[in-house]
Amino acid sequence: MVALDMSRPVAVQAESRPAIRIEGACKWFGDLKVLDTVDAEIADCEFVSILGPSGCGKSTLLRLMAGLVPYEEGNITLLDTPVESPSGDVGFVFQTSNLLPWANVRKNLLLAAELDRKASQPDEAAIVAMVETLGLTGFEDSYPHELSGGMRHRVAIGQALIRSPRVLLMDEPFGALDALTRDHLNVELLKIWQKEKKTVVLVTHSIAESILLSDRVLVMSERPGRVIRDIRIDLPRPRHPSETRKDPLFGEYAAELGRLMGVA
Amino acid sequence: MKKVRKSNGPGAVRGFMEGALFLAVLIGIWEISIDLFEVKAYLLPPPSAIAAELWVSRGELFEHGIITMGEVLWGFLLAVGLGIPVAAVIFFSSLAKRTLYPLMVALQSIPKIGLAPIIVVWFGYGLSSKVVMAFLFAFFPVVISTLGGLASTPANMEEHFRALRASALQTFWRLRVPAAMPSFVDGCKVAMPLAVIGAIVGEFVGSNDGLGNLILLATGSSNTPLTFAALLTVTILSLGLFYIVEILGRFVWWRST
Ligand SMILES: Nc1ncnc2c1ncn2[C@@H]1O[C@H](COP(=O)(O)OP(=O)(O)OP(=O)(O)O)[C@@H](O)[C@H]1O
Ligand SMILES: [Mg+2]
Repeated sequence: MVALDMSRPVAVQAESRPAIRIEGACKWFGDLKVLDTVDAEIADCEFVSILGPSGCGKSTLLRLMAGLVPYEEGNITLLDTPVESPSGDVGFVFQTSNLLPWANVRKNLLLAAELDRKASQPDEAAIVAMVETLGLTGFEDSYPHELSGGMRHRVAIGQALIRSPRVLLMDEPFGALDALTRDHLNVELLKIWQKEKKTVVLVTHSIAESILLSDRVLVMSERPGRVIRDIRIDLPRPRHPSETRKDPLFGEYAAELGRLMGVA
Repeated sequence: MKKVRKSNGPGAVRGFMEGALFLAVLIGIWEISIDLFEVKAYLLPPPSAIAAELWVSRGELFEHGIITMGEVLWGFLLAVGLGIPVAAVIFFSSLAKRTLYPLMVALQSIPKIGLAPIIVVWFGYGLSSKVVMAFLFAFFPVVISTLGGLASTPANMEEHFRALRASALQTFWRLRVPAAMPSFVDGCKVAMPLAVIGAIVGEFVGSNDGLGNLILLATGSSNTPLTFAALLTVTILSLGLFYIVEILGRFVWWRST
């Protein structure tokens, strides 16, 4: 077995200026301690995945980064600004697809732009391209209740992408999709990430997906969640689902992460 | 606009036919029984007499019907026009929730029929006292349903709007209002027939015209067929107004999605 440097200590980063810095963040919901002194740094333009058991606080951590929920202890900065409220530089994909039932796909995609009229508005070509990327061509005028669950999720992903935010926070965006669509959207996400150079934090339950996409994978403990491992994925880019999975290193990472997650 | 179409298949047609047939049989039995048991016409007229009266007095019924409809519509529109802002104020102001809301619930508990005489004393025999009565009956359901609708905005959608940094005003117009519409429409469907009752009660207590007034006069002069004809007109008016609300309500097609 090739010796891998997979056991780097948590939160020791010497990268350039981080896009997101989390220092000793704690979060309680009443008496329930959900996050316990979480430390993490995410570099500019880095792709980081968060893995962890269900209920360990992954979504909560993402909400903290987005300024959606207050936290009791610690510091979180996003693009050099302390996080206090949602930022215009962040695109958030929620775990549940929150589409407006009374608006069609196009209107839902444009929601973010319509709410912020001062920001640059996506032009028709951008919308068409986004619909195409999401594999929703022909459904522009459909309403959410006319879409499948996976299609709805894709619209939600498009909602976050269409404004091309500098930081993309995604909470299990591909969880509801079949393997094929998932692979397709993984590739699209990598393309967008490479082209637009944004920082991505992705919460996922899929070990394979986290390896395929990420520069680093953060593994969280059971609740109260903390980052227990920080694994750098040194697979060559550009990556592609079918090829990258054949890489022997891929198997090594998968085995290691599986062991940490207690599934192997 | 997207419409949720109801299937008008053979089932619906058959259901209608069966309903109509059942009604026809009942009316037939009524007609025959009056003859058979020699019921006096001033107690219960046969359907044929009511039908004849409907035809003979059609002009009168129409005129009074228009008057009652005007009272109902004004009262209903007033209830909607005042109910929505009151619900919004209660929803957004915790002070109003603690003061205005309990007061409204308390006032709602007063039997409004008992208020009719004093309303007539205050507002006179004309249009306004009936409008106020219709309003009183319709107001509460409008407020409660609007309030329920506003409060039923899904929390995940609110969070989404927060993440998109929507202003309070944007969240209100783009999220809360459409989310509240289905419940509001339901409230209107309850309120409209209640407004009819309110207007008729107002006419009973003090009026110079309107279907309620006609019912009183007809009954007073033992013209029972006219009483029934007027009652039938009220029913048709109430049904018609309800269906107008129901059809307008179809613009809110996302209720069940
Ligand atoms: N608004 C809230 N109020 C109270 N408790 C909450 C709230 N949100 C989350 N929790 C609790 O915090 C814990 C972590 O929730 P969170 O949604 O962050 O988990 P997760 O890691 O995303 O899980 P999953 O993988 O199942 O999505 C859970 O035990 C949950 O019950
Ligand atoms: Mg979650």
